[in-house]
Amino acid sequence: MKVKVVTRILEANDRIAEENSRLFKSHGVFVVNLMGAPGAGKTSVLERLIAGLGGSRRVGVIEGDIAGTEDAERISALGVPVVQINTGSACHLDANMINEVLADLPLDELDLLMIENVGNLVCPAEFNVGEDMKIMVLSVTEGHDKPLKYPLMFQRSGALIINKTDILPHVNTDMERVRRDARALNPGIRIFEVSSKTGEGFSPALIEFIECLSGLR
Amino acid sequence: MHEASIAESILDIAALNCRKAGFERVRSIRVRIGSASGVEREALLFAFECMKGGTAAEDATLEIEMAALGGTCDNCMGEFEAEGAYVLSCPLCGSNAFRITRGHEMDIVEIEVN
Repeated sequence: MKVKVVTRILEANDRIAEENSRLFKSHGVFVVNLMGAPGAGKTSVLERLIAGLGGSRRVGVIEGDIAGTEDAERISALGVPVVQINTGSACHLDANMINEVLADLPLDELDLLMIENVGNLVCPAEFNVGEDMKIMVLSVTEGHDKPLKYPLMFQRSGALIINKTDILPHVNTDMERVRRDARALNPGIRIFEVSSKTGEGFSPALIEFIECLSGLR
Repeated sequence: MHEASIAESILDIAALNCRKAGFERVRSIRVRIGSASGVEREALLFAFECMKGGTAAEDATLEIEMAALGGTCDNCMGEFEAEGAYVLSCPLCGSNAFRITRGHEMDIVEIEVN
């Protein structure tokens, strides 16, 4: 016997993501899902953003990694609440993993929750966790071909942070091509060019952008 | 690698709908995957084969129907379909004022049970 089903395959994940999203809204927290390849500098960008906000917004962080607590320790040193998720072998965070740690965060006391996803340019783009916006970190060492090789991540992101601009003179990355292809895939994407090492590019544009997002709740 | 999570969700949904219909075994599962969804057909088939053991669908076959990327253009007002996972401009008129309307599907369409 044939049974018509017609269900989204990730329906279970999307349902929990919606539940997370309702909870975030009820606490007035704006949530960013921060994605990018391993080593792109997601944690370093986060450190700069937290420092740059300088307490103007109350930030909390969820760190997603396959193993280890190094990232959470770095964030904790900045005095913001942080929870580490170890996915074991999973290459991305899903809505249920986020749901399970929400009780460990003081949501009522936050304006902005940054969720740092597992380093990966493919899978995290598929799994909503209840975020308001996906933001992607790309480093200049990854090359200008990334938008067309990993289109989904660029299409789903509201903003693209291009990191490590301090080493541009030493790499062959064509920045104009990155900008052009990212915008062709996603005309609305906001692009910021920064160096987490020197701090260049964060202030004022990117910091104001993040402040503005977290003021939306 | 996320195909494993997707295969797991497919198996869960199939088993649930099989039970709901009052049957015990799933014979086949038909899914529709958009070419821009980020899901790799071969990887999904492999993950499904690896994970179906011990479930209601352990003898089931997975049929994957690929759905092409498609959209409409606000400039030429045309509807288009394209190969691959993305387009950078409207294939009909070259404008950037297009919207993708199809190609991100990831749906279970039908299961066969007995």
